[in-house]
Amino acid sequence: MSLLALQDVSLSFGGLKVVDGLDLHVDEGEIVSVIGPNGAGKTTLFNLITGIYEPDGGDIVFDDKSIVGLEPHQISRRGISRTFQTLRLFLNMSVKENVMAACYGHTKAGIFRSMVRTPGMRREERQIEDLARTRLEFFGQRLMGYRWDQPAYSLSYANRRRLEIARATATNPRLLLLDEPAAGMNPAETHEITELIGKLRDDGGYTILVIEHDMHVVEGISDRVVALDHGVKIAEGSFEQVATDEKVVEAYLGLKTTATK
Amino acid sequence: MQNFIQYTVDGLTLGSVYALIALGYTLVYGVLKLLNFAHGDVFMVGTFVGYGVLQELGGPMNPKVPIWLLITLVTLASMAVTAGLGVVIERFAYRPLRDAPRIAPLISALGVSFFLSNSMQLLFGATPRNYDLFEYHGGSLYLRGLHIAGVTVPLLRIITIVAAFVLMVILWFLVNKTRTGKAMRATSYDREAAAMMGIDIDRVIVFTFILGSALAGAAGVMFALRVPTNVSIGFIAGLKGFIAAVVGGIGSIPGAMLGGLVLGFAESYVQGYVPNGTQWSDLYVFSGLVLLMIFRHQGLLGRPDIRKV
Amino acid sequence: MSDSTPHGFHSTGAEGPAVGQDEWVARHAERRIMQGGPLGKVEDRVRAVPWWAWLILFVGLFCLFPLVETGGYVREVAFNTVLYMLLALGLNIVVGWGGLLDLGYVAFYGIGAYVYALLDSPHYHHHFPTIVSIVIVVIVGALAGFLLGLPSWRLTGDYLAIVTLFFLQLFQTVTTNWQHVTGGPFGILNVDPFGLDKHHQLATQHNGVFAVSYLYVALGIFVLVYVALRMVNNSRTGRAWRSLREDPLAAEAMGMPVNWLKLLSFASGAAVAALTGSLYAALYGNVFPLTFYFVTLITIYTMVILGGSGNQAGVVLGALIVSPLLEVLRDSGKSRIMFFVALVAGLALFSRRSPRIAIVAAATLVFGFVVHAICSAINGSWVAGEHHGGFAGFVDHWVVAPDQMARWIAPASYVGVICIALVVALLSGWKRLALLVPTLYLAAFVWENVMLSKPEPARYIVLGVILIVLMILRPNGLLGERRVEIV
Repeated sequence: MSLLALQDVSLSFGGLKVVDGLDLHVDEGEIVSVIGPNGAGKTTLFNLITGIYEPDGGDIVFDDKSIVGLEPHQISRRGISRTFQTLRLFLNMSVKENVMAACYGHTKAGIFRSMVRTPGMRREERQIEDLARTRLEFFGQRLMGYRWDQPAYSLSYANRRRLEIARATATNPRLLLLDEPAAGMNPAETHEITELIGKLRDDGGYTILVIEHDMHVVEGISDRVVALDHGVKIAEGSFEQVATDEKVVEAYLGLKTTATK
Repeated sequence: MQNFIQYTVDGLTLGSVYALIALGYTLVYGVLKLLNFAHGDVFMVGTFVGYGVLQELGGPMNPKVPIWLLITLVTLASMAVTAGLGVVIERFAYRPLRDAPRIAPLISALGVSFFLSNSMQLLFGATPRNYDLFEYHGGSLYLRGLHIAGVTVPLLRIITIVAAFVLMVILWFLVNKTRTGKAMRATSYDREAAAMMGIDIDRVIVFTFILGSALAGAAGVMFALRVPTNVSIGFIAGLKGFIAAVVGGIGSIPGAMLGGLVLGFAESYVQGYVPNGTQWSDLYVFSGLVLLMIFRHQGLLGRPDIRKV
Repeated sequence: MSDSTPHGFHSTGAEGPAVGQDEWVARHAERRIMQGGPLGKVEDRVRAVPWWAWLILFVGLFCLFPLVETGGYVREVAFNTVLYMLLALGLNIVVGWGGLLDLGYVAFYGIGAYVYALLDSPHYHHHFPTIVSIVIVVIVGALAGFLLGLPSWRLTGDYLAIVTLFFLQLFQTVTTNWQHVTGGPFGILNVDPFGLDKHHQLATQHNGVFAVSYLYVALGIFVLVYVALRMVNNSRTGRAWRSLREDPLAAEAMGMPVNWLKLLSFASGAAVAALTGSLYAALYGNVFPLTFYFVTLITIYTMVILGGSGNQAGVVLGALIVSPLLEVLRDSGKSRIMFFVALVAGLALFSRRSPRIAIVAAATLVFGFVVHAICSAINGSWVAGEHHGGFAGFVDHWVVAPDQMARWIAPASYVGVICIALVVALLSGWKRLALLVPTLYLAAFVWENVMLSKPEPARYIVLGVILIVLMILRPNGLLGERRVEIV
């Protein structure tokens, strides 16, 4: 059984249908890429999975249980985490705190215990800090050491992207949704991200669903590629299959006949 | 039956005043997404300006001009001053904060509100001012009027309601049938896109404030014609105008008009029919509106927001 | 590579930030460089002092203070300041940490005071021991905060502000009209002071003078609340609140139940406010509706914004500045001193940017003497007004202060000085400096003749101006962090 399965999912805004009868599945341990021109509904797909939008029709099943109608934080606790296309870090908090904050869902010290600092609470705090450290170490030296206590707004762009991924992994997810992780990066950084995503699956054990525009990245990481256009799945398969699929080429470049004019 | 007509007329008058205040809020919210807390105090300044002009023109006892001209001049003076005040407030307290976090102009507005009400108190003291138009011609403005089912609807009320209606029609015309009005509506949908289409946002916003504040000035005079005014009414008047705008759907002009009338009628009927109504009308009306907000936060005629992530 | 240099610093160079470097980050780096040198070293040392050391120092000074100043009035002002510090801390939870605009906050202060009054006064003939009363007050406050927070479940930002404002008005309406329970506009009188029971009460006065023991009680409560909040801020709840303030959507996506957290921040802020209310009621012995209304709300907001919302020490500092300031502005002699001190300080501050300000100061001085001389030559009664208190001698010869003023002068000069000040704000260069001279003089005139005679509205006008100017020039206040808003 797939870890995540979307079954005939539809969503409309006003009169505009943004997702139409979409079927999609991700198996445990896979890395699946979602591609498609702008406006194809890719980020909407992520928003549907994470509960920000509720589908008008169809079902979303995670770990054999439907997650439609759940609040985003509940879905996060079920094991799905994400990054954002436009980077949504907690900019005025330190690097360490950004990651520690994401541990909320699997910790339990309440406000009263925090006030008096019970031994249980202090133990949990140490665990949270250790977890944050581990997650940040994943990125090598880039986010370590003195960087920890610096506010997130002082990070460079590439580091911010990395921090957001680190933060997403701090919720202990099984499924990781990465929304354009390589956006705005130079070739060297892009190469690093490609390796990183592979490492996330191999060493971290995460199942990963990625939205990406950069075909080098898609080629380098994907077990499977899904192509969307106007909210509909137009192709699915290995990278070679999808990249050469007529409909995909048409969606990106237009009809062959018009191109030759 | 008599009571019903009385309360209805009251509701209509009150509702018109609230509607005019609410329109000011809704217009500004539409283009700036700002809740202009200072609006109620601008209204209050309008009542005082009206009083001042009234006194200058001889007062209700010995007006130097015919009564209809007197009231017109008083209203126009109030509208002119409040419009100017609105422009100044926008220019100095809100415009520098155009790109700041949303909370910044809100707090600035609180500061302006505080500043205005205390400045007026500093300059004119806390004693109430009464237009005292009952003095005119032995109260003819109040005693003469339309007769409906045994009740006399005072002339003054009729004038107020008609004037408010006329102003609203003018506003509707300005917003829907002129180029600047179209620019206003465009700005309220998407400020950046409007700017890119060549619309001068600053001018549109100034125009909006002129309209909204002038309406508040008119509302001020209409209010003070019935009830004595003092420097502290800004807060509660603003709050009620707020409620009216929000109930109707903030950002929607017909919504503000509807909301104002709904509030006016609600207050009037509650005060009339519910025992101890006058004291507790605020409580009932406010509670009802809180509930409305919870279940339909976009108000009666507002658009539900579509959130884009 | 963009992150090879330590501390994230990058030289921006003449062409602007380095490629791949965030422009805002680059500018921020510059700001930190500017504070190098001796001042930078001092700042680093200051930052290194742990928060509790500051707290101990502060409380220590505050405790010693009554030994130095034995006047009952000053001690009472100190007590009020502690009340405000507590209120500011509470508001900080909702606004600074939760990012929610709670305009009904003062109602919880009132609820605390009234509940305590109902539990410990002749009104209902209850006289619960203080410990019990305080616990009840805090619980009721938290519940009320919870209830008011419920609309926040569905509503965002602006709508929430409106609903909380309704609530404030609602509280006012209920306390004013429900005479039976709340005593209406006459309030509840003869509220018990704190004590173990009826026979062991902490007297609120010694020989008719404010009892300093209450100052210590208030300080004690303050320390408890401050430390407790500090602990919470560094825990998962505190982090969750701050994440909620930064970006509610991202917080929710990272597993934090945003709606529940909003409720929690409302309830916590309300609990602190209610606790402060009981302290107020116990000392002053009477509760009236108007104490808990718009004016108090704006005062607390000014403190929080001035100090820096989100920063605990900041909001306390804000209270420390604003509360005594309000008191000082009650007295005309001291007000005058404050005015000139503020004037000189303001000029000194701006002289860092533009040394020509010194010329303006000198010119204003000369200008004033000249005008004064001319006026006294024209008509002696124009400068015959009497002054008392600070700087009176200087003012006698510098500011034009008539014996009796025609009624139109006050509004005309007041409006005039505002207009001319706004014009100054719009100008630049030498024109601005030139116009500044008569502006400053006119301001002194208005202060002396118009505002000093009516300290009540005058001091609130000062608050209003502070709020507006703060938001425009320095929205993060004195100690607040530089805010980076996500739209």
